[in-house]
Amino acid sequence: MLEPTIFLVDDDASVRDSVALLLSLKGLRSQLFASAEDFLGTYRPEWRGCLLTDLRMSGMSGLELQQQLVERKVSLPVILLTAHGDVATTRAAMKAGAFDFLEKPFDDAVLVDVLQNAIAHDAAAHKQAFESARQRHRIERLTPREREVVALVSRGLPNREIALALDISPRTVEVYKARMMEKLDCRTLADVLRIAPQLEIDTDDA
Amino acid sequence: MHALAFVLGYVAVDWVSFIQPVLKLGITPWNPQTGVALAYLLWRGPKWAPVVAVGAFMAEVVVRDSPAPTLVLAASSALIALVYGGLAHFLAARPAGEETRVLSGAVRFAAGVVVASLMVSGGYVALFTVSGVLPDELAIESIAQYWVGDVNGILMLTPLMLAAADWRQGWRSVRARWTEVLAQAALVALFVWLIFGLQVSDRLRFFYPLFVPIIWIAARWGAKGAMLGALAIQVGLVVAIEDLNPVTPLIELQFLMVTLCSTGLLLGTVVTERANALARVAAGEAELRALLAAAPDAVITVSPGGGVITTNAVARHLFALDDESAAPPPLHELLPEVSLRAPEGRRSVAGVRRDGSSFPAEIAWAQLESPAQPGWLVIVRDATERQRAQAEARERDRILARAMRFAVAGELASALAHELNQPITALVSYLRASEILAAPLAGQDGRLDATLGKAVREAMRASDVLRRLRDFYQGGKQASDDVDIRACCASVARAVDARLQAVGAVLEVDVAADVATLRADGTHLEIVLYNLVSNAVDALAVKQSAGRRIAIRVRGEHDRTVLSVEDDGDGVAPEALAGLFEPFNTTKPDGMGLGLAISRSLVAALGGELTYERGARLGGACFRVALARQASAAAADTGT
Repeated sequence: MLEPTIFLVDDDASVRDSVALLLSLKGLRSQLFASAEDFLGTYRPEWRGCLLTDLRMSGMSGLELQQQLVERKVSLPVILLTAHGDVATTRAAMKAGAFDFLEKPFDDAVLVDVLQNAIAHDAAAHKQAFESARQRHRIERLTPREREVVALVSRGLPNREIALALDISPRTVEVYKARMMEKLDCRTLADVLRIAPQLEIDTDDA
Repeated sequence: MHALAFVLGYVAVDWVSFIQPVLKLGITPWNPQTGVALAYLLWRGPKWAPVVAVGAFMAEVVVRDSPAPTLVLAASSALIALVYGGLAHFLAARPAGEETRVLSGAVRFAAGVVVASLMVSGGYVALFTVSGVLPDELAIESIAQYWVGDVNGILMLTPLMLAAADWRQGWRSVRARWTEVLAQAALVALFVWLIFGLQVSDRLRFFYPLFVPIIWIAARWGAKGAMLGALAIQVGLVVAIEDLNPVTPLIELQFLMVTLCSTGLLLGTVVTERANALARVAAGEAELRALLAAAPDAVITVSPGGGVITTNAVARHLFALDDESAAPPPLHELLPEVSLRAPEGRRSVAGVRRDGSSFPAEIAWAQLESPAQPGWLVIVRDATERQRAQAEARERDRILARAMRFAVAGELASALAHELNQPITALVSYLRASEILAAPLAGQDGRLDATLGKAVREAMRASDVLRRLRDFYQGGKQASDDVDIRACCASVARAVDARLQAVGAVLEVDVAADVATLRADGTHLEIVLYNLVSNAVDALAVKQSAGRRIAIRVRGEHDRTVLSVEDDGDGVAPEALAGLFEPFNTTKPDGMGLGLAISRSLVAALGGELTYERGARLGGACFRVALARQASAAAADTGT
């Protein structure tokens, strides 16, 4: 996994240079782009961190860049740099899911605060996405029979009734249960119940 | 048919009037048949002259049993037809009936008759003399008798016969004044009796009193009446003379009759002419009265001394002159600032009503060029409404110009704020970076850290100044009125009218009825429309091909009202599209490049959107202002 980075998009070279210097002194990594088109051209899905973009640029505007990211399902948090008075545009950006906005010129303390929040938010979101992906992966390893057992277990049925429902012996149910818990990396039945909602959907499909 | 009737009539009249002939020839002192012939030619046209020739020939044969050879009779008949046909042609060049309506017509008629009949009598007598029928020594006397007979017959009968179609009208006027007619008839009878009833030697001395009734009749009834009177006298004379013994030569009487007839004709025509002139004047006056009554403006006639002579109803209403019968006040009381000197002119002055109140008036005057009644004609129009409308238009223009200046300043401030905020942002960031870099040195000199902090605060202050400047021009001054879009468009059209005419462009406005009002800031909307139309005019001014149209169209689209301004110019060039709405972006040599930037800002502030597209209808540029229909939204809110 890559180190969190601030991707700064601004068409003013001095702004790019000064903000990059300040961020590096605050111990934050940054990567600079002169236009929204540049950023979209080089973007990689594995990039972590946040996007800091000017609202008013020649060419594609910050708002249009944000809309592009929404369309491409890029989860990177977006922080908009606005001039004072772009109230309508700022409101539209926030509605469309921007993480935050900063008025130019901004103070360094506020800037770092907002950026760290965004990075934390991105990391958390990424971790959650990673976890759910991993669980999906585990669930996919279960056989159809094992899924049926999980579904019945999560409804709180005892082994005997599960055996009756599946028309197998309670002994066999024990075997399935043990194999299923091993595959799901669960030590207790409570762990299984925690991830059961995702399994329930699968059993319904089956 | 009429030709046969004519021939029979001609022969009959000739037979009746065949008195005191020279040697049984057609040379008599009274020839009414010639009058009938000329009337016929004037009525049907000179091309019927051969019929007259036939009539004359038949008369010679039937009435007179003429001793002359047939060839001579035929030649003389042809002569009569030819000369009177020519006279008819000459007289027909003027309008029919003129010989008894206009004096010049009467003179022309009489002169034509005298000349033509002299030619006929001379030629007729010459023919008979040459052929040996008439002795030479009788020639001069015969010419005179024939001539007088023809002139007499024509003057008396032709005008009367031509006017026969109006006999009903004549009969009506006679019946209306029948006592006078009786008196005149009695007088004529009395004087005729005087001539013949008194057994005196020289009867012709008593002819002259006959002028009295003829002049009386002519003065009262015009030329036709006089001719009728003369005819009556003539018939009386002829009847009387036939019974007389010894025979009085009719020729002498006929000279007097010609004089009498001519007098009656000329005097009667003058009377008719005068009556017609009076009728025309009366008609003209009636027309003028109707004109003054119907005139939308006040009309006053003024004497050279400044007294008001007449006023029309509008004038009396305007100046509150309630009492129509009272003498109107002099002009200087109604229009104190006006003194009429120039022959004509127009001015804006104050008018004063009878109650002393005053009003703005626009007047125009002209001199009356009539020697009988000199003076002035003054037309007054109440300018109150017009001046108020002008003042309102000026006030609107003033508000618009002020709002426009404000919008320009706002856009400039906004652009300035954006441009300066970039370096200030960089400056603040560099300074904060410097603070961090200088931290290790802070122990050596505490002033460095403090100085960098001050520098940051100053940069922030500069940014604050920009922010306040921008707030001043943009801070929530949008009004919210019910804007009448048609009035808004009309105002814009008026503002660009002169430029439209200079370019030769036509502005069409088409506002759908269901979106005719809009809740917005009317002045700002007007500025936007003005900017867009103004751009269109500029685009059309440099257009090469013919046809210059601009169309403002307002339509409802879903929950929005869309105002589009389209032209048939060349549209926006592709390379100019990128920064079309950015400030300081212009293709005009003397443009600031703020019009579209301002318009976009104002439309955004109205909660709408300003976009450009290629015009679908006219093919040029099309700018669309899409605004939420807040009025309808509000109505929906109250409904739920």
